[in-house]
Amino acid sequence: MNKGYILSRLIRSIISVLIIMVIVFILVFTLVPRNSIFAKDDGFRKLATKPDEKLEYQYNIWQKLGYLEFVRSADYFQEKYEMNSPEMKEALEPGSKAAEEFKAEFEAKGYTVETYPKSGRYFAYKDIPVLKHVGIWLTNLIKIDTPWAIKDENNPELKRGLSFGTTETGGIALIGSGSKHKYLLYTDSHFPWLHQNIIKLTFGESYPTYQGLDVMDVLVDSQGKEVKRPITYATGKEASSGIIFGTLTYKPVLDRLDKQKFEDNYANFKTQKDNPSMMGISFLMGIFAVVLSYGLGIPIGLLMAKRKDKLADKLGMAFIIFTIAVPSLAYIYLFRYLATAAFDLPNVFTTYGASDVRSWILPVISLAIPSIGSLMLWTRRYVVDQTNQDYVKFAKAKGLNQGEIFRRHILKNASIPIVHGIPASLAGCIAGAIVTESIYAVGGMGKMLPSAIQQYNNTMIVALAFIFSTVSVLSVLAGDILITKVDPRISLTEKAGRS
Amino acid sequence: MSEKEELKKTSAKAASGAKEGKKKTSYISAKDSRRITKFNRKITKKLENDREEAGKDPASYTTKMRDPNNVVEFDNMCTYFFSDVGTVKAVDGISFDVPKCSTVGVVGESGCGKSVTSLSLMQLLQRPAGQTVGGEIRLNMGDGTALNIVNTPVEKMQELRGNYISMIFQEPMTALNPVFRIGRQVNEVIELHNPEMTEEEVKARTMEMLELVGIANKEGVYEMYPHELSGGMRQRICIAIALACRPGLIIADEPTTALDVTIQAQILDLLQNLKDKINSSIMLITHDLGVVAGMADYVVVMYAGRVIEKGTADDIFHHPAHPYTIGLMKSKPVVGKKVDALYNIPGSVPNPVDMPNYCYFRDRCEMHCEHCSGKYPPEIRISDTHVVSCYRFFETGEVLGYPKTVDVEGLLNG
Repeated sequence: MNKGYILSRLIRSIISVLIIMVIVFILVFTLVPRNSIFAKDDGFRKLATKPDEKLEYQYNIWQKLGYLEFVRSADYFQEKYEMNSPEMKEALEPGSKAAEEFKAEFEAKGYTVETYPKSGRYFAYKDIPVLKHVGIWLTNLIKIDTPWAIKDENNPELKRGLSFGTTETGGIALIGSGSKHKYLLYTDSHFPWLHQNIIKLTFGESYPTYQGLDVMDVLVDSQGKEVKRPITYATGKEASSGIIFGTLTYKPVLDRLDKQKFEDNYANFKTQKDNPSMMGISFLMGIFAVVLSYGLGIPIGLLMAKRKDKLADKLGMAFIIFTIAVPSLAYIYLFRYLATAAFDLPNVFTTYGASDVRSWILPVISLAIPSIGSLMLWTRRYVVDQTNQDYVKFAKAKGLNQGEIFRRHILKNASIPIVHGIPASLAGCIAGAIVTESIYAVGGMGKMLPSAIQQYNNTMIVALAFIFSTVSVLSVLAGDILITKVDPRISLTEKAGRS
Repeated sequence: MSEKEELKKTSAKAASGAKEGKKKTSYISAKDSRRITKFNRKITKKLENDREEAGKDPASYTTKMRDPNNVVEFDNMCTYFFSDVGTVKAVDGISFDVPKCSTVGVVGESGCGKSVTSLSLMQLLQRPAGQTVGGEIRLNMGDGTALNIVNTPVEKMQELRGNYISMIFQEPMTALNPVFRIGRQVNEVIELHNPEMTEEEVKARTMEMLELVGIANKEGVYEMYPHELSGGMRQRICIAIALACRPGLIIADEPTTALDVTIQAQILDLLQNLKDKINSSIMLITHDLGVVAGMADYVVVMYAGRVIEKGTADDIFHHPAHPYTIGLMKSKPVVGKKVDALYNIPGSVPNPVDMPNYCYFRDRCEMHCEHCSGKYPPEIRISDTHVVSCYRFFETGEVLGYPKTVDVEGLLNG
């Protein structure tokens, strides 16, 4: 095992993921017409009778998504004149001296100055070229939280520093002051037990669905109803809430209720919901499906190889051919129909929700069926191939019996390519759950991708592309590392090809 | 008398088969193909059943050696392959002995049945297609009894393999399991045949074997994987594995073909020395006359599935009698002798699916006479140790007997 090699592979993986993201980003933000992103926004549709507000809403959204820079004349004059002063009112009127100055100034800066359809007031906007857009997005992609992150003019005495302590729930934590998050590192009773808030990936705001939320939060935060439990706040106030203390973030202005609960300015938090996050559901479902497909596919494949050309082998072959020849969509529907008819199982995930085992059974089996077939086929092929190797003949000449040869010699050799494929099939199950999740209405990432495309949720598409490509690239690396554990002939070194 | 009649019958059948074969050359019609497949299925099923029956009764596979000084006696052994193009008589009635503490070289060109002979002795044929259908292979168990390998059940064979008979293969590069350490692979065979030994004893024996085969860095090699060793080293490991249980017979199936000449000499020396150390015999299978000349006490020359000449190394190399052997000797380059072109035997080996009913070598033979168009020549003794199957000695030598072939169609009906 060569650490240098793995590091360089990791770096290359990250670079390739970045390249994929940039390509997806450019494609999505240039090819999707910018007007069509409002198609699924109900709030936008309600503004149909108010052309000025509609226009302003439109430009605000575009600015938020990074398409352009938008300046209202009202905002511009607010800095010069007092609110509601006569000068202000005059300046806003089109044709006034101040308004013409605004127009001249922004046109000189390269902005396009236009008027509102009804009031006739001026506003200015400037398109951001797509490469600059990518650049801005990339620089904001990774946010690192430090004790100097918060710049609050109303709170100049905010202390800056780091200390070790405990969270309200008793976990060990690295506590930041002056940072965006209160707990930069903390432990609690939830998987994966150690959490960090130092490095955050921000892909931008979700629009038009999940408005106002960062897309990463949409994918990672738990969904559903809040799970309330009795808790005690730092002030000693007792209440029932689903607060996750680890997610406390800085809130510039505290209201009365906040002051009852918290001693400091860290008063924003997320709550624990009853369903796992989209990402969590997809990963769990992927892992279950992989466990199921390997748990069934490999033993059956081994059995087929052992009983080559006998009845068991032929039945297995029939199953394999069925799963390969028939489109997965067709037999997933067939399977769903038969299984719901025969057993009392829900045909959609949402009937009982994520907390009920019954919800998981059909989607997991549906997800596993195609990979069971191909695993059976490959396992059988590898084992049959190994059976004809010279070392098997030599093992026979040593005096080993069939069973011993199979267990001691063939199995380990045949397992090499199978082990290599495990991470890739896990990635396949996570990213490839689009069909299954859509059919069973599972609230996971797989269902999110087609709906994000339908709803023109551009940031979400980019974020999902990032997650899927990361999972795939890392799984290839994981497969290469795993194979070195089972095959002594393979070592991961930079110079292996040259020496 | 009956033997001769039988032979006439089979040769007549072979003749009719040959005519058919000539008419259709290598083309097989769909009808014929179906017939062959059906026949193969029937005959292999019957042979497997017979073997299973025979395996149940120890009496059916225990015999006595003809000569207790032999380790192995092949007695008219026939190994056929029931392939899709017909029955291939890979080995058809061969007889020879491997005496104790000696080296017997089996030579012949590719496809003459050398390897099939050794695989039959190990029962490593690709069954059910490959079957030893007739004759006996007697293995001396050392206590006055002998086993007939042809009928020995698989469980008994597993005790013998690696323990009484062991085998060294041609390709050391692929014979070792690539994913296990050398130590484990040597330990495995010792543990298997000596279940009473403790782990330390097994390891000590492995170390001893590694030292014996001339591996200097035995501690290091014990922990290595096969791919970390050179071809010569790997062949040494194979030899260590083969010799670990001190077998009475070592079959070396072209042990040096995949190695370069310097390593070849070392490996052969090693084999010869070790053989003497553990008092075993070697059956050396090769197509390299030089190797045989250097090592063998006795030589068996095979051609197209039959033994055509056998004798001591001196007989074969200095007084070759069969035209094929003479041809082989002539086609060998000799240092210091200048020739324009190396001699080669004209023609090629007959098709193994339908062999002629006369001497297999007649069509290529420069010395053939009118006898040669008759049936296949018998074994003829021309000196105490020298036996040849050629009509040139029919008048002068002592006729020992014709090779016994097996009528597979009759086997199914009888």
